[in-house]
Amino acid sequence: MSLQQTIGLVIVLFFLARVLSQKRKNQLNAAEFNFWLAFWLIAGVAVALLKQIDRSLAQLGFSASGINFLLYLAVVILFYFIFRLRLRLAKMEGEITKIVKKIALGDKPADKK
Amino acid sequence: MVKVFIIIPAYNESVAIASVIKDIRAASKEWQMVVVDDGSSDRTAELAETAGAVVLRHLVNRGQGAALKTGTEYAIMAGAEVVVHFDADGQFSAADIPAVIAPLTAGAAQVVFGSRFLSAPGGKKSNIPWFKKHVILGLARLINKIFLGVSLSDPQAGCRAFSRAAAAKLDWQQDKMAHCSEIMQLAVKNDLRVTEVPVTIIYRSFGQRFSGGVKILEEFFLGIFTR
Repeated sequence: MSLQQTIGLVIVLFFLARVLSQKRKNQLNAAEFNFWLAFWLIAGVAVALLKQIDRSLAQLGFSASGINFLLYLAVVILFYFIFRLRLRLAKMEGEITKIVKKIALGDKPADKK
Repeated sequence: MVKVFIIIPAYNESVAIASVIKDIRAASKEWQMVVVDDGSSDRTAELAETAGAVVLRHLVNRGQGAALKTGTEYAIMAGAEVVVHFDADGQFSAADIPAVIAPLTAGAAQVVFGSRFLSAPGGKKSNIPWFKKHVILGLARLINKIFLGVSLSDPQAGCRAFSRAAAAKLDWQQDKMAHCSEIMQLAVKNDLRVTEVPVTIIYRSFGQRFSGGVKILEEFFLGIFTR
């Protein structure tokens, strides 16, 4: 295992420890805990198997190294998360509009003549 | 007499709102005006009320599409037979309203869009800035045609009128500026009889810029996933 992989694994272990400690302090709900646990475990496995990922990519005909691949993957995942966040915001905005509309119409009941 | 409701969404329009209401009142005393004050921080609501309009208030700014929706729902509840959407900034002409309403009262259409690209014989032409006319609105027209199946001359027509049944049917969800295209798309999707009539827009500012067009596309794209 290279020095970089060792450093990477130490970082992953640090974040795993933080996830466990936050769960113990009830700062994370079950769904969040499961997500972050799975995220850091997958990151740890990916760092540990970096050389195998290198080889697999080479066999598939890609010239990029495993670490580059993980970076690209991270960017794609980040974009996805931003999109999800944007969607969530759009839904919340829609809900706010419904409330604002209800209040506006409630303040001035229509006089049907 | 047909019950006509003019819906005017207004956000910080204290400069123009009173004269807009006065002009509409001069065109007809029978029309009911509903100003939806979209969370203005100026005296828009107060001035509109003094000028004789019914004022509905949004506690916070939700956008033109949302304000029009609130006003339209109010009009339907109040027994409107025709609902007209009109701007508060004084760029529309109250003199165009009878022509926008006419196809509805004649039973020739259920939805009427005012188009600044059409001109009535002897009528005044809209002074659309060149870049807006040929680039921004040209692109918008193309996008409406390709993605929404809408083939109307004015892709962002803001002056429009609906029969009561059409107004109740068109349930647009876009709160901001993308409501224009969504209303057109819904009218086509619901097989409503749509027509266009010429209207004159008096440009006092450039209005919606290219970046605004990109924002509309983004809102529309997100709207696909939030419906």
